[in-house]
This record gives sequence, structure tokens and C-alpha cells, in this order.
Amino acid sequence: MNPLELTLGIMTAVGGFVDISELVFAARAGSTFGYALIWVFAFATIGIIIFAEMSGRVAAVAKQPVFNLMRHRLGLKLGLVTLAASVISNLITCAAEIGGVALILNYLTGAPYLLLAAGMTVLLIVSIWVLPFKWIERTYGLLGLFMIVFAVALVAIHPPWDQIALGLVPQVPSGLSTKELLTFGYFTVAILSAVMFPYEVYFYSSGGIEEGWTPKDLLTNRVTSIVGMGLGSLLAIAILASSAQLFGPANVDPEIPGSAALQAAIPFGKWGLILALLGMLFAVAGAAVETCLANAYSIAQYFGWMWGRRKKPWEAPRFTMSWIALFGLAFGIVLTGVDVMTLVEFAVLFSILVLPLTYLPLLLLAGDQKFMREHANGAVAKLLGWFYFGVITMAAVAALPLFFLTSGGNG
Amino acid sequence: MGRQYLLLFALLAACTRGPDDDLQYIKQARSIAAEWALVNEQANAGRVNVTYVTAMHGWLRDGLLAASSSLSEPKSDYGAEISALLALPSDAAPATLRSHSESLKLIEDALESA
Repeated sequence: MNPLELTLGIMTAVGGFVDISELVFAARAGSTFGYALIWVFAFATIGIIIFAEMSGRVAAVAKQPVFNLMRHRLGLKLGLVTLAASVISNLITCAAEIGGVALILNYLTGAPYLLLAAGMTVLLIVSIWVLPFKWIERTYGLLGLFMIVFAVALVAIHPPWDQIALGLVPQVPSGLSTKELLTFGYFTVAILSAVMFPYEVYFYSSGGIEEGWTPKDLLTNRVTSIVGMGLGSLLAIAILASSAQLFGPANVDPEIPGSAALQAAIPFGKWGLILALLGMLFAVAGAAVETCLANAYSIAQYFGWMWGRRKKPWEAPRFTMSWIALFGLAFGIVLTGVDVMTLVEFAVLFSILVLPLTYLPLLLLAGDQKFMREHANGAVAKLLGWFYFGVITMAAVAALPLFFLTSGGNG
Repeated sequence: MGRQYLLLFALLAACTRGPDDDLQYIKQARSIAAEWALVNEQANAGRVNVTYVTAMHGWLRDGLLAASSSLSEPKSDYGAEISALLALPSDAAPATLRSHSESLKLIEDALESA
């Protein structure tokens, strides 16, 4: 285990953890319910750590990416349904990320939104084409570390740490009306979905294969997923807590992502604002790259095409055409003028519906000793894996009714 | 028969439109007014740059326009509050914006408890 590689891997995971959906839902959750939803972020982070570690282990030992497993374990038809659902979900998520990037750039430069969206789509395509795989991930992840300003800003505003700590205890606030309870339920499901987005597992496991992981890399996989994602989730929690402290009492339910940047501007002024916007920009741009590549990985793996950014673009032509076309389609969605917040809500909703189908084959294969030998899931991993599978299945069932009953969390 | 059901459904749907249906837009407008006040307060204190403030004003106004045009009862008291907000200049005083936000919050609370 190379310490430098490990540190870079962890820092990349930290900087790449927050995307536009987490940003939006963390800020809205804090302003609407104070610190009462912190535990959902912590709970969902444990879930994504479990499944990311599992998918990295399967990639290192069985050399199988998630979509390959899905086709074999779910069968061609159900596999195809899952592929279609996850492609739609990732595409909407990618469009939300591109829209988010354009919005943030608009706050930074004042240039027209659609022009920025077009320019950024081209820039993201060029960055994937030019950079080696490891540096695609690292460039965005490491630059996303500017987001740390949100954690420092939280410390600077002297929040009530005892209440934040209490927020880690699973709870439903007392005295809520039925409508508010439903909204609380919707936020719980949305945060679960935003933290456990299926694209993260597709990208992480395919990345493990891109980087040629072997069983020797299992410790790196475990440490990166636990420490990197754990620390990354603290940034999301910092945004939620700052929002509870600054926005809730001011009657603000952040309606646009730019409001979240005020959390750093209030204690640190212009430099805080710029660092926050830069952190948001790189973290969200990184998520746009990951969602798009995850989609291309899924399609190529399902149909058995040559895939991977470790190859030259022309050595895997259908894979290359797929990610370029998917970027084009995501930009097309942005061009329709649909609001970024609406895209975020749809992304979260579609993703939670796909989550159980994403994690079931992974759980089955990671527990299969024929493939995984001594690296198969132990008792704890099995128990936690099936527990989280049950939770996300319940969340998937509840998602649509809660969305309609609460008008997408707007009461 | 099918047409009668369709007519009944349309009538029922029309009956449910009104303040309750507008609640989400009232909430949206209340929050936008409060966000706008916060942005202007920071701008007046020189803590945010002009580009950011101009962009935020544009997006917040777009949000207000969307909320206003979605109202089923634009000639209501909340409709008047939102129209008053839309008539304000971008650099309106934070206190003025907050007073509109608070008026909308009162309407919102009354509708929620009804």
C-alpha cells in the first residue's frame, strides 16, 4: 500500500463526495428541520461505504464490474430493465450536474447560463478524452476539496455542537403535523437516494477495474471507501448544520444552489464565497463526469463491448461514442430550459427506484464463495448489506407516494 | 357515461385549486424574499462580489416570476404580496424584503393550520 496513493485516493473521495443533489438537499434539510436529519446523512453514508467497499472488492477479486454481474444474476430481461432505468436515472442526474455547474459558473462570471452549460459540456468531454483515468478522478476530486471551506465556516459561526451531536441520533422531531411528517419522510428518502446514488457504485467498481486492482488492493479499497466517504459526508453535514443555523431562522429554504455559498460568505466574506463556489464547481463537475462515464460503463458492460478509459478512445469506439452521446443528451435536457432544482428532484426520485436492483446482484456476488473465495462477505458485511438492501427497498416503495403527497418536499 | 365522469373529474379538480394548491408557491416566494434579503444584506456589507449578487438577483427574480405565474388565485392577498416583491428594485432594502417574507409566512402558517 503506497501511502501517497492512499492519501490521494482518500482526498479524491472526500472532494468528490458532494454533488448537486447532496448540496441542495443538505441545505434544504437544515433550513426546514434544523439538525434532525443529520442522522440520515450518517446512516446513508454507512450504506454507501458498505456497497462501495463491496463493489471494489468484487472488482479486485472477481474482476467483475456491476453491470456484468447484473446481466448474469438478474437475467437478460430484468438486466435490460435495470439498464434502461439506471441510464435514465444517471442521464437526469448528469443533466442536473451540468445545469448545476453552469449555474455556479454564472455566479462566478455572470456569463449566460446556457452558453456556460454548452462550454462546460465541451470542456468535460475534452477532459475525459485527454486525461488518464486516474487523473480524471483526481483532478475533480482534489479541486473539490475547496468545499472544506463549508466545514471551516461552520466552526466559525459557533454552532450549538451539542444539538449537532444530538442530530446524529435517529429521530423524528416531535410535534410535527401530518403534512410535516410526510415532508420529513420525503427528505429522509431523498437524502438516502442522494448519498447512495447508483452511479457512484458503477463508477467506483469500473474504476477499480480501470486501475487494475487485485486482491492486494483490498486494504486500499477498504480504507479509501471508509475514510474518504466518511470524511466527505462531514462536508454535507456541515452544509446542513450551517443551513440550520443561518437559513432556518431567516425563513430561507434555499431555492437555488447559489444560496448555499452564502454559508461561507457570512463568516469569511468574498474569499469565503469564492472558495465555496469553486469547491461546488469542481465537486459538481466531477459528479457530471462520473455520472456520464458510469452510464457509458453500464451500457458497454451490459452489451459486452470493449470499454474503459485505460484504452485509447478509438480502441473502444462504441464506449467512447456512448459517453460523448450521453453528454450531448444531458446537455439537450439542460437546453429544454428545465429548472436545475426540478432536475435534482427527478434525479433523486429515479435513482431511489433503481437502487435495489443495483445492489441486489452486488450483494449476491460479494457473498458467493465460488467467485470471491476467502474474500466473500463475512457475517457482518452480509448482515449490514441485507439490512441496507431492505431499507432502500422500503425507501424505493415509499418514494413516489411521498413525492406526490408533498409536492416534491415543498409541503 | 365516460364523458360525464370526465366532466365530474374536471369539476373536482377545479374545486381543489385555490389557496391550498398555491401553498407551495407561497412558500417558494416567502423563501425567495428571505434569500434576497440575505443577499442584499451581505452585498451592503461588502461581503459578496457584484457578479454573484447580480446573478443571484436574476435567478431569484426568475423564481418569483415562476411562483407568481403558477398561482391559481393571483388576485389574493398572497398574490398581491408576490406582485409587490416583483415590483421592488434588485437592491431593495433587506428590511423591506423581510417584511414581505414575513407577511407571506403569516399567510402560509394560516393556510397550514386551517
